[in-house]
Amino acid sequence: MLSKLAFRNMKRSARDYLVYLLTMSLISALMYTFNSLLFQNEAGKYYDAEDMLEVLVVLATVFIVWITAWLIGYMVRFMMGKRSREFGIYLLLGMKKGTIAKLYLQENILLGSFSLLLGMGFGILLQQILMAILFSMLRMTYHLHIALHPGTVIMTLLCYGCCFIVSLFRCRRKFKKMNIHDLLEAERRNEQIGEKHETLKQFLMPLSILFLFLFWALFGVLSNDIQICLFLIGLVLTIYLFYIGLSARIICYIRKGGKRIYRGQNLFLLRQFSGKIRTMQFTLGTLTALFTLALMGSSIALMFSAWQNSLLEYKFPFDILLYSPDPTDDFQDEIQFLEKRTEIQDLFPYRIYTDGGNRVNAWMLTHLQAWGTMFQNPDGTPDMDKIRQKLENESVYCTYDTYMGLSDYNTLRAMLGYEEINLSDTEYALQIKLRLEKEVRSVGDDLKLADADGSLSLSCGGIYTDPFSQDGHNGGDYLIVVPDQVLARMYPYYAELALDINGPAPLTLREELNELRYDKINDTMIGGTDISPALKGNRCYGSDTILVFNAVNEVRENLRSSLTYMLAALMIPLFYIGLVFLCVAVTVLSVQQLSDSARCRYHYDILSRLGVKESGIHRLILRQLAACYLCPALLAVLISGKMMLFAGKLFVFATGVPVSPGSFFLKSTALFFGIYLVYFAVTFISFCRNVSR
Amino acid sequence: MNNYIKVCDIEKYYGTASHVTKAIDRLSFSVNQGEFVGIMGASGSGKTTLLNLLATIDRVSSGHIFYENTDITALSEDALSEFRKHNLGFIFQQYNLLDTLTIEENIVLALTLQGGGKKKIRETCDRLLNLLHIEEIRGKFPYQVSGGQAQRCACARALANDPVLLLADEPTGALDSRSSRTLLETFTGLNQKLGATILMVTHDAFSASYCSRILFLKDGKIFHELIRARKPRKFFLQEILDVLSLTGGELPDAQ
Repeated sequence: MLSKLAFRNMKRSARDYLVYLLTMSLISALMYTFNSLLFQNEAGKYYDAEDMLEVLVVLATVFIVWITAWLIGYMVRFMMGKRSREFGIYLLLGMKKGTIAKLYLQENILLGSFSLLLGMGFGILLQQILMAILFSMLRMTYHLHIALHPGTVIMTLLCYGCCFIVSLFRCRRKFKKMNIHDLLEAERRNEQIGEKHETLKQFLMPLSILFLFLFWALFGVLSNDIQICLFLIGLVLTIYLFYIGLSARIICYIRKGGKRIYRGQNLFLLRQFSGKIRTMQFTLGTLTALFTLALMGSSIALMFSAWQNSLLEYKFPFDILLYSPDPTDDFQDEIQFLEKRTEIQDLFPYRIYTDGGNRVNAWMLTHLQAWGTMFQNPDGTPDMDKIRQKLENESVYCTYDTYMGLSDYNTLRAMLGYEEINLSDTEYALQIKLRLEKEVRSVGDDLKLADADGSLSLSCGGIYTDPFSQDGHNGGDYLIVVPDQVLARMYPYYAELALDINGPAPLTLREELNELRYDKINDTMIGGTDISPALKGNRCYGSDTILVFNAVNEVRENLRSSLTYMLAALMIPLFYIGLVFLCVAVTVLSVQQLSDSARCRYHYDILSRLGVKESGIHRLILRQLAACYLCPALLAVLISGKMMLFAGKLFVFATGVPVSPGSFFLKSTALFFGIYLVYFAVTFISFCRNVSR
Repeated sequence: MNNYIKVCDIEKYYGTASHVTKAIDRLSFSVNQGEFVGIMGASGSGKTTLLNLLATIDRVSSGHIFYENTDITALSEDALSEFRKHNLGFIFQQYNLLDTLTIEENIVLALTLQGGGKKKIRETCDRLLNLLHIEEIRGKFPYQVSGGQAQRCACARALANDPVLLLADEPTGALDSRSSRTLLETFTGLNQKLGATILMVTHDAFSASYCSRILFLKDGKIFHELIRARKPRKFFLQEILDVLSLTGGELPDAQ
């Protein structure tokens, strides 16, 4: 009989808390899908970032388990509260507390198992979709293969089980403490709303708004850890205190008899809204925090996605590009090896030259925004001591300036399909990364370089930003192209080999090249005796930050998919966290609203008797729900907006992604409100149905 | 049996140290086996508190309540739950039926908790359904039946354990006059034919007129007692109304 009762109760809970059931199914589907990356990831074996993806998915899973346990705990307590009278009856019938706890546990396990089964079914499909997307990002073919993997299933069961055990264990303790009288009286107590010290509490709202203003004004200029910590504490307090203040403000407004309460059904609406905020002010604060994290997670994921979409092609224009620190290297071994492994269409070994000076490096360090005035004397002239120190100790730029002859440059341009360029005897060209173009426009006025005779007569004849592999191969950030005769007074700095091949490169070519060239590169770079000390420091990475990938052996096909995989390893867990946080938070919001709909039925019934039409009641419900849904979402948008606009600016600046800094946040907000709207619509429809039932 | 239930000098306080409400004030009385006792009084007089104390829903602040030789004020939580299971039956104004179970299943659940085989449970259930005239609606859910039928189901469930005492808290409060009359006649039948001991809290004089004895409460104390003896019900009702009018108590709707 008890099992039957548990089953019936579970069915009722599934009906009453459909949104919760669906969210739990969605979460288990997501858990299954993302756990499959640990066990069924057939693409992973080809990439270095396999471990990174696994570690990040596990890390994300920890957060997901934690937040899901919170949701289950919240719902278990919430349902317990709503059913307190029923538990009282069980006690009156002579059931022991342990039996009731067991019954409730059974119900929740049944509900959980049902949503798990539903979710796993959906998860198997979702996993195929995720794999198909991942493979298509990696430009590999994926064959649909629908199957349950024991590892994935066990991992999903473990995660899901963990969430339940944690929350249900806590609820068992709650059962031990309850008594019949309190349970039977609980409903009446729930309806009591205490309104104390509202006049004082209302000032928390302007205080919170003031803090948010300060947050917007000062977020970017916080300079040390203490300031940041204090600001974060303030932010958390603001999130929670805002709702206390808002509710008190509305109550004070109503008490004062404000003008707006006499319009339409505003009085009813404001009372409903303030009551709702009051009863769930702490929950609303937590929901705001979850929304903020969800928005931030998806915004950051979109940043990486933008980098992948716009810069991955730009980064690797050559089919194969090999670096050698030894300028006399003729790459014979490599060419023989590549002839065997690929079909070479064209190849071109060349040298990067230097004049042993760092005039261009100094110009870069004093003119690019990334360095500000860090390398300038107070009068604005370059601080050469600091610059030399930087160049010798760090690898942003090579220790000396990097040059290339015009004929070599044009040969490489021809390989890449670009137009040839011309330079007069008194001109040089600047080949630079696209992201720095705007910052170096004054190079023509400022920077004169030495000609074949050594006199400073070369001026800038053009700036070129075509993709040219400038993360250490063809210079770091920049390369100065000079007429060939100028090279006569320079010496080779390091050697490069560019290749054009027919067809795609073998999947493991870069690894094979790394193996082949390991000794050669390492011996030469680390204390090789056959290299002149002047040539040391001929390896650099450029000034990119956040996403920096420097490879001695560049094989475009291999690197592109490697990086795509690495970016996927970052994006997938971020989207995973963002999506689950959002769904969890919006479920709590929906369940809170729907659980009230039965009680609201009487309110709306009275309004209807007072002459409000059905359409008017629906409008009222819409306004009531919209206010409750928008409040935490807007606060989260305000908070995460500032942080993500700031982060977006930094990201665009550091990586050169050609999109507006605000676009990441806008897109993620649109995504956020898309999902939000679905939940809102479901809640609105169910609410209207419950009210008119 | 005389002094079947004995209430000895009980007190019940609510509230905090700074604000104490005395709901029951040194109350003593006893109930004999087979009595149908009514408790009446104005709102806040302590009648529901008294019922809760007798029903083990709430605990006394001081004093003792004896069911035969068992002092329920000295029992542990688990022992109380066993005591309730075997000795008490409850009927509330709002029926308190489990909405996920059918009328029949609500009774079966109470019987299952008592233990016993399937055959015995089925027999008892059929007998109770028959006794309360609700066989026809046995397969329906509580929301599918009328208030009177739901209350009779609650009554059947309360009788499932063959209780020492049947406690009813405003049982006719949510019923129309016809259903109220049917239920009260059922109570009388149970009391007279089966010898059930019933304690009913009510503010309605008409309902109270079915009782054999009425205790009138005021400020947590018994201030008057009426015994029906062999008087006709209508005469007894008039007596109740007289007491109520004397004390300014609530006037009934059903006269």
